[in-house]
Amino acid sequence: MDRYELRRLDYSLSEDHEALQAAYRQFFKTHCPIETVRAAEESGFDKSLWERLCAMGATTMALPELVGGDGATLVDLTLVAEEVGRSLAPVPWIDHVCAARLLGRLGALADLDVVSGRQVAGLDSQQDSVRGVRLIATGSIADHVIVRDSDDIVRLTFDTRPARVDNIGRLPMAWVDPSVADSRTVVARGAGALAEYQRALDEWRLLTGAALVGLVEETMTIAAEFAKTRYTLGVPISTLQAISHPLANMAITVQAGRNLARRAAWFLDNEPQERPELAPSVFVFMAEEAAKAATMAVHIQGGLGVSAEAAATAYLVRARGWALAGGDPGASAKYIAAIVAARERRDERVREEQIDAMSACAKSK
Amino acid sequence: MDFSRVLLSSDDQAFLDESRGFLRTHVTEEVKRRDRETGDNFDEGVHLALGAAGYLEREWKPESAGGFSRVRRRIWELEKRRAHVPWVTWGTTAMVARSVASFGSWELKDEVLPGVFSGEVRLCLGYTEPEGGSDVATCKTRAVRDGDGWVINGSKMFTTGAHNCQYVFLVTNTDPEAPKHKSLTMFLVPLKTPGIEIQGIRTIDGDRTNIVYYSDVRVGDKYRLGEVNGGWAVLREPLNVEHGAVAAAHDGLQDVSIMMHQAGFMADAVDRAAAVVSAGDPNGCRLIDDQSVGYRLGRSVARMEAALSATGIFGRVALAQTMRDIAPDLMDILGSSSVLGFGAEGAADDGAAEYIYRFAPLVGIYGGTLEVFRNMIAQHVLGLGRPALGVLGVDSASRAQKVE
Repeated sequence: MDRYELRRLDYSLSEDHEALQAAYRQFFKTHCPIETVRAAEESGFDKSLWERLCAMGATTMALPELVGGDGATLVDLTLVAEEVGRSLAPVPWIDHVCAARLLGRLGALADLDVVSGRQVAGLDSQQDSVRGVRLIATGSIADHVIVRDSDDIVRLTFDTRPARVDNIGRLPMAWVDPSVADSRTVVARGAGALAEYQRALDEWRLLTGAALVGLVEETMTIAAEFAKTRYTLGVPISTLQAISHPLANMAITVQAGRNLARRAAWFLDNEPQERPELAPSVFVFMAEEAAKAATMAVHIQGGLGVSAEAAATAYLVRARGWALAGGDPGASAKYIAAIVAARERRDERVREEQIDAMSACAKSK
Repeated sequence: MDFSRVLLSSDDQAFLDESRGFLRTHVTEEVKRRDRETGDNFDEGVHLALGAAGYLEREWKPESAGGFSRVRRRIWELEKRRAHVPWVTWGTTAMVARSVASFGSWELKDEVLPGVFSGEVRLCLGYTEPEGGSDVATCKTRAVRDGDGWVINGSKMFTTGAHNCQYVFLVTNTDPEAPKHKSLTMFLVPLKTPGIEIQGIRTIDGDRTNIVYYSDVRVGDKYRLGEVNGGWAVLREPLNVEHGAVAAAHDGLQDVSIMMHQAGFMADAVDRAAAVVSAGDPNGCRLIDDQSVGYRLGRSVARMEAALSATGIFGRVALAQTMRDIAPDLMDILGSSSVLGFGAEGAADDGAAEYIYRFAPLVGIYGGTLEVFRNMIAQHVLGLGRPALGVLGVDSASRAQKVE
């Protein structure tokens, strides 16, 4: 690609962005302290928190006005996702909005109460999964589960929801077998529909990556505060480079991941064909870094950090579990490579053709 | 937030076309070949042509004084990178000229600045010392008053471009007894002064830098910049720029962090690797069909795009660190012929990946090491306190022993 193209590089937030960010930060601070997170670990879902969140407009905002939503941009959604991650909120907001937006694009929202969030929609967020029984992050609570089944996109419902399986991400995860669903509606089929599903997967990776940014920033902040008050050999451990440099690296990860998420979102909002590799890049980068950062944050707090009751361990397990809900991040890395390789191959052909044309032109002269 | 293409007025479009054409005419294959051979990262012919056409002056001056508008400045910056204009000596010249403009006497400004704009005068940095390392305030090079002038003795490392410059912006110590930030005095020393010896050193990325020795070098007081023992104030402004501590504007018409120019070589290596692995051999086999190749390329893209997104001091560390992290993977996926350099027959990617592997160690020390910047993030962003460095560690260890 032309890396010297004259484009703006402006990552700043507008006043509206900042107001949205502040509203959700305050919402989760008020309604989702760590005790709320712990209390929901049994089921992976806090229904009353979900209802409050929906009442605030967090689900409707994500959909276009045409289908009864408020038409927020993906940039807006990354701001909310970061706060979900920061607070470890036990709500299926990311899966729900990605599934609902997919249903909206496929014209399949009518007769469902999904926009408001009264019915929860979930999806199979794995990059390569297209058939058979699978683990779905929202499987035990979703009213509608959207999956690919060969070339079909189907919506499944279960009269009795699949049983939750205990998992490291503390998600309402369940094994879902499409063949035993009580209803199976083909929502769309064919290449165009599958491209829309891929877009949903890209959005899921973008928002999950943004959530991991918030998660890393919070566990970093807790570890940094701890390090400032813990002394060894007469100095706070925060002044030792073996502690401060890993914390500085976390701060760099947060800034890099956050801005990449915003740039990826901006391109999906405004020029979706231009940089499709950026959304999965947020996920590949943050999935790797979140695990490293969350482990280091536990380590910095030593014996207190490893306690199952420590906030640090709540972040530790979700840093892995939330990412793994989408399957091996390596599948996304290969998808990124395929996009970039095709782009560079195409650009090289164009360059070769230009050179051929120039030499043909020179010969004819 | 905005990442859109900039819509240009017809005048600005004409400026872009003219700049691109000018650079294509002057930065020839011969210029680039010579630059690789010498490692100078400077070409006098190109530099004088830029000066004569008024580009240097318009780049250096603010818009209010007849310099480029924001959009033209950005066009110029990107087009220079596209054309691979040798850049290092103009970078140091522009930076030092600002200190001359702020702190120099009228006489010194008249002597130096017109030549800066014509291209005939170039300026380099004399900061680091052989024993000093990253901390410019640990300066052993002495300047001692002698009648109306000064006598300088000492040596400086990494005076890049000195052999193509007319003056060096020199940090000297004028009061060895004082605390280090109150002991420095800055001079703009003419390099033709007797007693100066310049020795070339090649670095592993192929560039050339210098060690410069100063033996009883006599300079007049007019070459002093700022107050005696007040050199820190003179030094601080360009250092802030070099550290990326200067606030970003919100029009999106500038790099989001320093080292973005250097990072361009990483982006080039990634894009080339992507083109190579997707090209088929005569049997139609493509490297990217090996899934381990796809995985490593995709991970490298993700890490690079994250680093390119980080701003300010965060970006400065992220770019250098990421260049170090991904260069080996890019070489691995291209196979053995990635070890062949630029222009070599059969080189996988014309040496792009092996170049960033060799370049990355330098990018991690320019303007201070990565550790200096991590310390700054830890102390000033995270509020972790002043780093407890070696001596303090020894003290507290012995204190702890006493307690035991």
